[in-house]
Amino acid sequence: MESAVYNPGKLDRGLIMDPRTKLALLITVTTFALGGAGGRRCGMLVPVLCMVPFLLLLTAKRFKTAIIGIVLFWGSSMLLAFANAHDLRGLIYYIILGSCGVLGRFLPCIMMGRYLMESTTVSEFTAAMKKLHVSDNFIIPLSVMFRFFPTVVDEADSISCAMKMRGINIGGRHASKIIEYRMVPLMTCCVNIGEELSAAALTRGLGGEVKRTNICRIGFHLQDYAALLLCLVPWVLLIVDVVR
Amino acid sequence: MDGIMTQKKNNEKLGGKDLINIGIYAAIYLVIMTAISMLGFIPIMMPMLSVLCPLIGGITMMLFFTKVKKFGMITIITIIIGAFLWVTGMGFWPFIFGIICGIVADLVAKSGDYSSKKKTVLSYGIMCITIFGCFLPLYLDINGYFSTRTSFGSDYVEAMTRIFRPWTAPIILACSFVFGVLGALLGMHFLKKHFEKAGIV
Amino acid sequence: MIEFENVSFNYLRTEQASVRNINLKINKGETVLLCGESGCGKTTLIRMINGLIPHFYEGRMNGSVSVAGMDTTEAELYETAKVVGSVFQNPRSQFFCVDSTSELAFGPENMGLPEEEIRERIDTTVALMKIRSLMDRSIFEMSGGEKQRIACASVDTLNPEVCVLDEPSSNLSLEAIEDLKNTLLGWKQKGRTIVVAEHRLYWLKDICDRVICLKEGKIIFDMPMKEFRNLSEEELRRHGLRSINENLSMAPIETGKMNPETITFEKLFYNYRNCDALHIDRLEIPRNEVIAVVGSNGAGKSTFSKCICGLMRGFKGYAIIGKKKQKSRNLLKSSYMVMQDVNHQLFCETVMDEVTLGMDEENRQRVVEILDKLGLKELADRHPMSLSGGQKQRVAVASALLSDKDIILFDEPSSGLDFYNMERVAELIRSLRGQKTVFVVTHDPDLVRRCATVVLRLENGQVVNTNSSGEIKDYGREKEKCYSAAVRICGQP
Repeated sequence: MESAVYNPGKLDRGLIMDPRTKLALLITVTTFALGGAGGRRCGMLVPVLCMVPFLLLLTAKRFKTAIIGIVLFWGSSMLLAFANAHDLRGLIYYIILGSCGVLGRFLPCIMMGRYLMESTTVSEFTAAMKKLHVSDNFIIPLSVMFRFFPTVVDEADSISCAMKMRGINIGGRHASKIIEYRMVPLMTCCVNIGEELSAAALTRGLGGEVKRTNICRIGFHLQDYAALLLCLVPWVLLIVDVVR
Repeated sequence: MDGIMTQKKNNEKLGGKDLINIGIYAAIYLVIMTAISMLGFIPIMMPMLSVLCPLIGGITMMLFFTKVKKFGMITIITIIIGAFLWVTGMGFWPFIFGIICGIVADLVAKSGDYSSKKKTVLSYGIMCITIFGCFLPLYLDINGYFSTRTSFGSDYVEAMTRIFRPWTAPIILACSFVFGVLGALLGMHFLKKHFEKAGIV
Repeated sequence: MIEFENVSFNYLRTEQASVRNINLKINKGETVLLCGESGCGKTTLIRMINGLIPHFYEGRMNGSVSVAGMDTTEAELYETAKVVGSVFQNPRSQFFCVDSTSELAFGPENMGLPEEEIRERIDTTVALMKIRSLMDRSIFEMSGGEKQRIACASVDTLNPEVCVLDEPSSNLSLEAIEDLKNTLLGWKQKGRTIVVAEHRLYWLKDICDRVICLKEGKIIFDMPMKEFRNLSEEELRRHGLRSINENLSMAPIETGKMNPETITFEKLFYNYRNCDALHIDRLEIPRNEVIAVVGSNGAGKSTFSKCICGLMRGFKGYAIIGKKKQKSRNLLKSSYMVMQDVNHQLFCETVMDEVTLGMDEENRQRVVEILDKLGLKELADRHPMSLSGGQKQRVAVASALLSDKDIILFDEPSSGLDFYNMERVAELIRSLRGQKTVFVVTHDPDLVRRCATVVLRLENGQVVNTNSSGEIKDYGREKEKCYSAAVRICGQP
């Protein structure tokens, strides 16, 4: 998780969508591709849905991520088909089945999540949350969390540098204590920084009784409506199925 | 000195400091969790998630529990963890589990007035069941799911069902709880050994 | 404007009172400097003005503090926030948002101001502080000085009547201090009441009109700046203060002969996101001397230090130490960095375990000897994290000495230190001369003058000025050069 995640530059974002649309897409993809809801009727739709995150990543110019994803996804499907066609048996077969089956199911969802995180700024995200009437009790911790991820990663990096200089590594004499050596400084540093961060935020009036405002403007555009329409299809099918 | 303890009487509403603390500890916990799941990226290793995350995350969470004094903090952090798992592609079950486990864990900790050690350990164990939500889609409706993939051949479906046999589900569930309890004990050990001396508790 | 009435305060879990019976009145529009040695209680006073005491830091408090007619001990923090703006020491930990524009909007958003007004306020602040180029950028990618400017700007958008700053220059380069100075002058012109707690005093001599010095929680003097400027150096030292007329010269100490042995670094190249972060073909430095590495933010100092310690992935250069060629991997074994946040490198339960951790073989005698030399003998059984900042630094040095490293690198060892502690660090570094090659990456001219024998100035990833005190022939001119280099960093003509 590099610090560029969660904070994409304004220029290279490609198609700009409302965070709410992205959430709707995520819910749809996880429900139908991972959860397998809708059964046979939606079966045709699933591959289409699975391709959506990869397409979106391409529009956001995350070529590397998208291509790796596509290769993994189709690769695992091919491998499965190959394993089936050649009637493999035994342990290898089970490992292939297990890995590819899980990968094929989770990958589209993971990619969708990645796209959501890489293409949304924190202020857009909080604005969307606000519009969805999520309570400040969730919005504030979430925005602190996004702010704090890069800090935790930075601290962890510094600590592993320090460990390298002291010759503490997995192969070394101190392997049994490796978790302790990593966690103790990490926790201490993060808690100290966190303390300073809360002090700074509180002196800027966080936690008051008035309703917070947000200067970030978000809204639906053509691409949002198209994406929402796509999301609607499997849900309608599902509902029709249930009603029948 | 006959001064007054000036810390304002805690009212039940969560204040800015509490909310920021939730965010900070959630960030630490999730970074650790992500690092662990990178280690076990081979999908077959996924069950290890239910062992390692509760265990190592216990160190973080025990520190968090020392900051918890009001109802709601544990609920919110568990829901956030669940939501994060959902957004990173684990399906919506962790989110639903997060809501339930969070509230139950919070109630358990509250019944010990947020200071009882036993209740804290139990509470964290319950919180960890959230992770089981990640595995649930693999067990739920297996036949329904694979019936849409008939092109893969019936052997495949059969094998899949064999790997994710229903009886392994309770094992993973139990794992996440038991290792949650162990993680909490480990975390408490660290509190005493390091963090109290470092003055960050 | 600000009034302290018989105020005392104890932090939770400490025996000693942090401040005792403080009576103080600060008038509207005054600019006050709070000074004194570390732990004298100036930070405590600042925290009382902005309400963090008693609402955030718990403890036992007596007396009352009022700001603009409001009792800060009674009022909620978000009420106080409308009147008092705060800037803190560490630029890394005081921003709440990820991008600069949201950060500036953060305060007004909390106040629930309408969107239009927030935009107006941001525009005013941006114009006033000339930070147009910093807007809409990720704060994580900014330098320390830029972060501190954003911190000041985000205070400015709240338009507070009182501004308090707690050691704001500790982590800044000379250049960035100059920016901070201008910001404060702008605030002063607007008629705001400003209270600054600081160790480095020189940059405040034209800003502040009143100086209050504390010692052990009590005010020992309170005088106008005019009078304070006339205090002799000895008097300042007696109170643990740094000079008011700071000498910005970065000239090394004069020593007789330099060690004739050398370490040669070759091909110190490093590209970072397709831009040349470091570009030094060949660098020859005397072995076992103290080398100060100076330069403005972004000059490549941290890249340089990471390469030297072998921590940079993909770094292709090498060092020649005593005719042996050392590649990155070997450099990692033979060098040690004392980090700015020493907490990163303390792993064990006791100081004794900590210093013996990297040792090849247990050699009790040497351990005791080195602990004794660094004044850590009595602390051997303490938890390293429970020590003071200076002691932690010495623990890190002890472990470097015991693991037989050739090169020890200090990253900003004197940031945020008062006079005595800075002298102590300088002394520690001086004592390493002759046994180890020591690099000191710093912005602090005081420290450079007290311990360095060679000054290496980096600019745009290149060495622009080396000066070794051994080369006596045109030493006078070199000294001049160093001084002008320091002045140039300051942005003064």
